[in-house]
Amino acid sequence: MNTLSQQIINGLSIGSVYALIAVGYSLVYSILLFSNFAHGGFLVIGGYICYYALIKANVNIWAASAAALAGAGLCAVLVERLAYRPIRERTSITLYMLIASMGMSIVIENLFVVTVGGRYKALPEVIPMKPVSVFGLATTSAFDILSLVTAVVFLIGLQLFLSKTKWGLAIRAASYNLRVTGLMGVNVNRLIAIVFFVAGMLAGVGGIFLSARYTLYPQLGGITTKAFVAAVIGGLGSLPGAVVGSLILGLAEMLTTGFLSSQYRDLIVFFLLIVTLIVRPAGLFGRSIGEKV
Amino acid sequence: MKKFILFLALVSVLIASAVFAAEPIKVGYLAGLTGEFAPYGIAESNAAKMAFDEINKAGGILGRPLELVVYDTKSRPEDAVNAVRRMIESDKVCLIMGANTSSINLATAPLVDRAKIPQIGTATTNPLVTVDEKGKLRPYSFRICFTDPYQGTIAAEFAKNTLKKDKAAILHNVGSDYAQGLREFFIENYKKLGGQIVTDEGYRDADVDFRAQLALVQRSGANVLFLPGLGRDMALIIKQARELGLTDIDIVGGDGYGEFMNDIAGNSMVGTYWITHTNMDDPDMAPVFKRYEETFKEEAKEFGNVTLAYDLAYWSADAIGRAGSTDGAAIAKALEETKDLKLKHFTLTMDPATHNPHNKPGIILKIGDDNRSHYFMTVEPK
Repeated sequence: MNTLSQQIINGLSIGSVYALIAVGYSLVYSILLFSNFAHGGFLVIGGYICYYALIKANVNIWAASAAALAGAGLCAVLVERLAYRPIRERTSITLYMLIASMGMSIVIENLFVVTVGGRYKALPEVIPMKPVSVFGLATTSAFDILSLVTAVVFLIGLQLFLSKTKWGLAIRAASYNLRVTGLMGVNVNRLIAIVFFVAGMLAGVGGIFLSARYTLYPQLGGITTKAFVAAVIGGLGSLPGAVVGSLILGLAEMLTTGFLSSQYRDLIVFFLLIVTLIVRPAGLFGRSIGEKV
Repeated sequence: MKKFILFLALVSVLIASAVFAAEPIKVGYLAGLTGEFAPYGIAESNAAKMAFDEINKAGGILGRPLELVVYDTKSRPEDAVNAVRRMIESDKVCLIMGANTSSINLATAPLVDRAKIPQIGTATTNPLVTVDEKGKLRPYSFRICFTDPYQGTIAAEFAKNTLKKDKAAILHNVGSDYAQGLREFFIENYKKLGGQIVTDEGYRDADVDFRAQLALVQRSGANVLFLPGLGRDMALIIKQARELGLTDIDIVGGDGYGEFMNDIAGNSMVGTYWITHTNMDDPDMAPVFKRYEETFKEEAKEFGNVTLAYDLAYWSADAIGRAGSTDGAAIAKALEETKDLKLKHFTLTMDPATHNPHNKPGIILKIGDDNRSHYFMTVEPK
């Protein structure tokens, strides 16, 4: 019983970080219908901005986080402007953007390798890591609770943005049909820039938490593979799906390790993905669209 | 005009002979400068470069300067194989130093054997690096470190007899030759001494979250945790273990330890023990560490790798000198015959049957309250 509750807590805490990243994936997918593999790069950018703001500029964690979020968001907009918009304007085939995004992800990773180097960087201990007992059932760290709460706050914030604001309405409309939304007078380029900014910001939040927990290095973005799997399980393009998929993935990983063996973990996780794709090709919450990449 | 041509001819002969006299002896260094083990690799190639500069200032070897040719393995065997190929075919090195992980030297061993170019690993502790599965010596593979059976035995004895802990948990990387070897020999010897392995969990190369495995360690009631890993994964494991409330457990690890782990895991590291080749407080190494800091404007944090690579560079130079040529086979013979060579961190005598240093002492470090490693004890081989 004790192990079960412990593993569930661990699963929720890691699932919530996956969710922050997966939601960004899904958001971009819902508008442009391609998987943005450079998403992991935005996360790394957020992590490095936070690190250097803390170490070199000596600001507090709030200012550093704000800088990291804004920086990651702006870089996402920049990547879209440089790599995706030219393709978008020439062709409607999303496969090219998918390939461009793979290229961008390698470019971002290697930019960090050549500029700041491949060494691991540890964020100073600005986020409390003390063990905390959860109702006497399990032990977790203050950090995990904080990351869970932050993830929930940002996800609710995103939901409010999408449902209460004018741009949110435009984004929801665009997720049904981008072309028609454009015909209705929405500035499509600005809409896409906003979507990338929001997705980059969410990746930045994930980046701060991931680098505080697992240290910072240029390949940290690789963890987004898991978030991508979560987004696919939940249904690419669906935000609730991304959250549910992430929690399922986090729990599946922890429970497999806890009750079977750590060596079966990836086997089970990817088996889960395949089964989902066979039973519900569009994912748990996905709408079925002609072509998925 | 005639005079002028003569003058030109003389000048060109002079230039040619000067270039010829100064033609450097090329020695390769295989290091992971990017990727997972970058901190170790950067420290090693820096230390070797420093040693070569010192040797060159003192006149070089065989009247020629030594030139270090460094290639990045990206910590991947496939990249290391390409790097070794380039070293041998286009750079024409006469000897290859590095790498520091067994997986890489296992991959490059057939290549150096075929080309008859000796390769010496720094922290390549897997026995198979120098002696293959059939027990046959690999004639061109050497090491300057002790081996995993030896390291595993020290760890098991230390955990059982010195720390007096009888229930051990192990957390190891299932994809690493190094971890597998160390784990095997730890289990074998720990059981022989009457200890019990209560849990043995695995993880994968790119893993960063170990809480699920640690929860099992916690439940198993182990009183000592053995970590046969490499640097960062162990630091993350220790950090997460303390967060989960595993504070009373003793932690013992192998020579995958790196001082940078203290930056990652902070005071979670305090009180952990590490079996390694050398220590930071070694008085013989103090001037070397000081020079390293002055040269590279960076503290010699990975002091184990700095020591191994620095001494390896001097050993290589010594062997090339004794071989009297840059012929790979002659150098390999000189390496094999090394006897009572006084290096900074120990006196090296080669065992020609295994290509391992003979009876190399192991050092145990303990992390103090100041978050740095300190000398704890020396284990002499029996």
